[in-house]
Amino acid sequence: MDPFSLPSPSSASSGQSAPSPEVLMDQLKTQLAQAYAEEFFETVKSKCFARCITKPGTSLSGSESSCISRCLDRYIEATGIIGRSLFNSPH
Amino acid sequence: MDNSPELQRFLEQEKHKAMISEMVGKLTNECWDKCITGAPGSKFSSSESACLTNCAQRCIITFLEALEVIGFRS
Repeated sequence: MDPFSLPSPSSASSGQSAPSPEVLMDQLKTQLAQAYAEEFFETVKSKCFARCITKPGTSLSGSESSCISRCLDRYIEATGIIGRSLFNSPH
Repeated sequence: MDNSPELQRFLEQEKHKAMISEMVGKLTNECWDKCITGAPGSKFSSSESACLTNCAQRCIITFLEALEVIGFRS
């Protein structure tokens, strides 16, 4: 279901009142945050796998897991740098 | 259920926020590949962070220039 569309009145079962706007807003914020987090981690996973796992073994080596940890930190930092550069850009 | 104006306003705001998040996400995705070439270190080198900053702005400017070329003039 598109998170931006409101549920139709007919979907509310009889006897139950529709949720208040506050509840709907909270539900939407939670859904959006979850969707964002899922997509973010999917991206980080594929980027960091590409950079850090050059020869897949049967388990992660110590250097591979510290690479992944650094990679996650850098990717979060990169997201911040790019977000800020868009909103501080001289034109 | 009535669609209160407050709810409508909230939906518009969240839609805009989501669009901006998505744009930042896509730019980071592209610019990471262009700018971070080796395995990630414990901090960015100055050339890597300059590259990321420039990359985002270049992308936007390129998009605007392409719009002009195909006929949209501000």
